[in-house]
Amino acid sequence: MTPRERVLAAVEHREPDYTPMDLGGTPVTGIHCSIVEALRKHYGLPQRLVKVHEPYQMLGMVEDDLKEAMGVDTVGVPAPNTIFGFPPENYKPWTAPWGQDLLVPADFHTTSNAEGDQFIYPKGDMSVGPSGHMPASSFFFDTIIRQPEIDEDKLDVEENMEEFELISDSDLKRFASMASAARKTGRCVVANLPGAALGDIALVPAPFLVNPKGIRDITEWYMSLAVRQDYVKELFARQTAIALQNFKTINDACGDDLDVVMLCGTDFGTQNSTFCSNDTFRDIWLPYYRQMNDWIHANTKWKTFKHSCGAVIPLINSFIDAGFDILNPVQCSAGGMDPQVLKEQFGDRITFWGGGVDTQRVLPFGTPEEVRQQVSERLRIFSKNGGFVFNTIHNIQAKTPIENLVAMLETRRQFNGQ
Amino acid sequence: MAELETLSDVVSRGNRAEAKKITQELIDAGMAPGEVLDRGLIPGMKIIGDKFKNNQAFVPEMLIAARAMKEAMIVLEPLLLGQGITPKYTAVIGTVQGDLHDIGKNLVALMWKGANIGVVDLGTNVTPAKFIEAAREHKAHIIGMSALLTTTMTIMQATIQGIRQANLPGLKVMVGGAPVTQEFADRIGADGFAADAATAVERALALIENTPVQV
Repeated sequence: MTPRERVLAAVEHREPDYTPMDLGGTPVTGIHCSIVEALRKHYGLPQRLVKVHEPYQMLGMVEDDLKEAMGVDTVGVPAPNTIFGFPPENYKPWTAPWGQDLLVPADFHTTSNAEGDQFIYPKGDMSVGPSGHMPASSFFFDTIIRQPEIDEDKLDVEENMEEFELISDSDLKRFASMASAARKTGRCVVANLPGAALGDIALVPAPFLVNPKGIRDITEWYMSLAVRQDYVKELFARQTAIALQNFKTINDACGDDLDVVMLCGTDFGTQNSTFCSNDTFRDIWLPYYRQMNDWIHANTKWKTFKHSCGAVIPLINSFIDAGFDILNPVQCSAGGMDPQVLKEQFGDRITFWGGGVDTQRVLPFGTPEEVRQQVSERLRIFSKNGGFVFNTIHNIQAKTPIENLVAMLETRRQFNGQ
Repeated sequence: MAELETLSDVVSRGNRAEAKKITQELIDAGMAPGEVLDRGLIPGMKIIGDKFKNNQAFVPEMLIAARAMKEAMIVLEPLLLGQGITPKYTAVIGTVQGDLHDIGKNLVALMWKGANIGVVDLGTNVTPAKFIEAAREHKAHIIGMSALLTTTMTIMQATIQGIRQANLPGLKVMVGGAPVTQEFADRIGADGFAADAATAVERALALIENTPVQV
C-alpha cells in the first residue's frame, strides 16, 4: 500500500498493511521545532534551519527526508493563515530564546522585555499591542486577552463574526497550490480547513485580529456557554453558513487533492471531566457540526477530523452522531479514557488518530523501556481491524528525550514486522 | 424575608441579580453580614462545588456561581470590613514561571474565595521569589501553584525548594494542573495536591487546619 492508501484503509476500518502514522500533518499532531532539529541530527539528515510553520506552538516543519526516516504517512496542508493572522510563507531567520536558529514566516515580528519574554503581533502589525506572549523560560506562545469589560446591553453577534468570511482568491490560490504539491507526495493529505472550529478556546481571543471585538475573554466565553446560549448558537449558525460556502469553494478548487480535513480543535475535555454535559453538547454544538459533516460527506470524499483533548468518553457517541470520522488526540491519560474500553465501545465507528503514547508522563519523563511497553500495548489494542492512525497524544513538546522518540518509532516498526 | 437557603440556591445557579438582591434583603432585615456569608453564600458555592465534583456541573456553571457570589460580596464586603471581619485564612496562588495557562488556577482561586479563604492571586508566570514575597507580605497559610505543561511542571520543584529555604514556618504548598499527579506532588515535596477545583477546597482547608480530609 502507498502511505495514502494505508491511512485511508485505516480510516475506512480496514486493516492496512502497516500501522499508518501521522507526525506533523496538523497543528495538533506536530513536533516542536527544537525536537525536529534533534530528530534530523539523530537520523543524520542535512542540518538546516527548521521552518516554524505554526508559530503559536512553535511547531517545526517535518520535511520529506525526515518523514521518510521516521515512516510518516501524512502530509499537511495548513490553513491559509497562522493563528497570528499571517501566512506561513517567505521565511526569514530568527533566533529563539532557547538559542535555536530558526526560520519563521516573514510577518512573524516580535519584541521582548527586560526579562526576555517575547511578544508577537496580529498580522505582524506592530502599530497595535501584541496578541501573543512567550515567557522567557517557555517554548511557545499563548494568547493575550485584549477584550475590554463586556457591556451586556450592547453585545452584538456581528462583533464575534469578524474572522469568519469567504476565503479570498489569494488565500484560495495559495491553499490549492499547497494541496496540489501535497497530493504529489503520495502521502495522505490532511488539510486544516479555515473557519470551521466552533468556539475553540485558543481562537476565541482572536490573536489573528488587529482589534478584536465581541466576547474574546476566556472566562467570559465559558460563562456565555451557560448564560448566553442564544448568542453562541446564532454565532455558530452564521459561522457554519460561511464555512459551508468555503467548503464548496475549496472543493471546487482542489477537492480531489484532499483526503482528510481537520474541522475543529475545540477541547471538550478536562483532565478528569468534560467542559459541558452531553445534553449541552447536543444542544449547542451538534447541529452545526452535523451540517458541516453532512455537506462534506454528501459532496466530497473527505474524511473529517475532530480534535478534543481530555476525558471526553461521555461525548464520543455524540461526536459520532455529529458525523465525525476521526477523533484526535485520544488522551488515554485522562479520566476514563482506557484504550481497551475506547476500542471496544467505539472502535468500529470512529477512527482513533492518536493515543499512541502518553505525552504527559511516559514520553517526556519515562524511560525508553516504558515508552516501548506503552507503545506496544497501544498498537496491539488500537490497530486491530483498522480504525487507528498512530500519533502521540498531541504535539511532541520541547525537552522530550530523543531516545524516547526513537524507542517509540522503533516499536512501531517492530510491531509491523520490521 | 428571603431565606438563607434561597440565597444558597441562587448562588449555586449563578443568578447574580437575585444573589445581590437577596443579600441586600437579608442585611436590611437585620441579619449579621457574617451570617449571610457563612450560611448563605458559602453553602451555595459548596453546592456547585459538589455538583462539579460529581460531573453534574461544569466549568461554565462554576464560573457563573462564583460571579454571583462576587456580586453579593459587593454588598457584604464593606460591612464585614466595618466590623473587622476578615477571612480566617489567606492563600497565595499563581501559575509557575513560564506557564501562562490559568483556567484551572482561576477556578481554584474562585472556589477558595467561595470557601471564605482570602486569596492573593499573583496571576501567571510567577517566579519563586514572587511567591515567597507575597506569602511573607500577606502572612499566607498556603501557596497554590499550577502548571499545565510538561515543560513547566518541573519548575514547580525549584519553586518549592525556594519556598522551603525561605523559612516560612507552617506555610503549606499545594500543587495542581493537568499533568500533575499525587505521585509527582509527593516527589517534589508538595504538602498537597488536588485533581480539581472543588477538591482543592477540602485539601487546602485540611492542610491548613491539619485535619484529615473528608472524602
